[in-house]
Amino acid sequence: MVVVNAYPVLYAAQQSLHDGSLIAQGPFVGLENYRTVLTDPSFWKAVRFTLVFTLCGVLGSWLVGYALALAFRRPFLGRSILKVAFLLPWVVPVVVTSMSWNWLVATASSPIPQFFAALGMPDVLFLADPTLAVVMVCLFKIWISFPFMFLMMSAALEGIDDTVYEAATVDGAGRVGALLHITLPLTAKSTYISWVLMSMFTINDFPTIYLLTGGGPVDATTSLVVLAYRSVFQSFQPGYGVAVAFLMTAALIGISLALFRSIRKAD
Amino acid sequence: MPWRPMALTLLAVLCLLPIFVVIGLAFRPLTSSETAGPTLESFIHVLTSTDLPIWLRNSLLSTIAATVISVVVAAPAGYVISRGRSRAVSAFSLGIFVVQSLPVVIFVIPLFMVFSRLHLVDSLTGITIIFVASSLTVATWMMAAYFDSIPASLEEAAWIDGCSVLGGFVRIILRNSLPGVLSTAIYSFLLAWNDYLIALVFLRSEQNFTLPIGLQTFFQQNATDWGPVMASAVIMMLPPVLIFAFLNRFFSVGGIGGSLAGQ
Repeated sequence: MVVVNAYPVLYAAQQSLHDGSLIAQGPFVGLENYRTVLTDPSFWKAVRFTLVFTLCGVLGSWLVGYALALAFRRPFLGRSILKVAFLLPWVVPVVVTSMSWNWLVATASSPIPQFFAALGMPDVLFLADPTLAVVMVCLFKIWISFPFMFLMMSAALEGIDDTVYEAATVDGAGRVGALLHITLPLTAKSTYISWVLMSMFTINDFPTIYLLTGGGPVDATTSLVVLAYRSVFQSFQPGYGVAVAFLMTAALIGISLALFRSIRKAD
Repeated sequence: MPWRPMALTLLAVLCLLPIFVVIGLAFRPLTSSETAGPTLESFIHVLTSTDLPIWLRNSLLSTIAATVISVVVAAPAGYVISRGRSRAVSAFSLGIFVVQSLPVVIFVIPLFMVFSRLHLVDSLTGITIIFVASSLTVATWMMAAYFDSIPASLEEAAWIDGCSVLGGFVRIILRNSLPGVLSTAIYSFLLAWNDYLIALVFLRSEQNFTLPIGLQTFFQQNATDWGPVMASAVIMMLPPVLIFAFLNRFFSVGGIGGSLAGQ
């Protein structure tokens, strides 16, 4: 495991300090690659998009997943089959769903733009307009991820003892009050953990973005991972790409340790 | 309250629209006559006159090989970790978390350089090795978590009866760990089957493509020819959906999430 996981990372660390191509290592350039990255506006643009994408993906999928988990809390007719239905966006491979999202929105003659046109709105090109493309990628990510949150929060809700609510009703708490003061605090730990995990999944997510928009239009949806991939395998600047990946890694480890500490404190 | 199932059904239909689209388009006739009902034309077309069967075979081969190897390696490794509780084990758990949080790109780039020297680029063996490597950490950890739930007295009794450590592991522990083994296998299978990035980087020639890459290439070349594209997509999504439909008891939340949340 050390060989398979540690060696590539060390090799990559060394690569980030060198010039050169994928196959042949160039001369040692010190921190030059990092300087190039940190002064590059397209890097900061990717940072901004990654933050937006991650925040929307994590909070959006958590909200939807939590709401569903609450709705599925009590038994009702068709509960188990509906539960399976809501998990499907997560089960079906992204390669497949990205194509159907494409079919639904990509061109002016796709069903959803047609639907908007029928409502009297001008041609909306969801994947060609930079702002709308960002919105679409975030929606796509939420759509893929909410089942995970649904499962996580359902498990968390199962762990709450019903007597807590009875006590709250006696004390005169309404439904909203019970949600805010009992349910949310009692699921805080699971919420934290699901946020941490989902942040990692989202920050490192490559196919969701790459398959839907390819990082465009005009780099509007280029996240750090897409930027790293492109600079290594398309514009052949591995030093730059690896430096991006390492800056990301440093930030990720920092975030994960900080969040883990806060989870421990919350216990 | 009947409004709840109704509202949720409506929501589910809306939510599954992109998946219905795939299925609907796949069964549409090849020639765009609006009158005809659903047919299998697109499926027959992609299975007989495209490279899809080759990609399907490649995907199945590499995914099944990776799954079997992962489980065979992860089971004994997880057993050792489970029975040898120590500080090293909790360090290992933290280590797994950190490694899992690193971007895959960071592994892919140096591995590409190493693999190009070993002539493993553009080979199914090459990507199978990476599939195993990338699932092994979590797989080991999942197996260890499952073995934790089996009391040690079980194999101790077997040792007293003259069973070796290995024999006790195989005959006593593994026989009682089918759910754990299945969850681990499903995790490894889905990781490999759904992989896009690794195949995108490491596979170059069309006869070596796995389904996701083949499908994406096919989609880019035939962007208006939706029937065959979606028929291939249906074939691609069938294994995960079937596994999910029949084995969802063993579906762990992303492999790592469920167990972490349970801690």
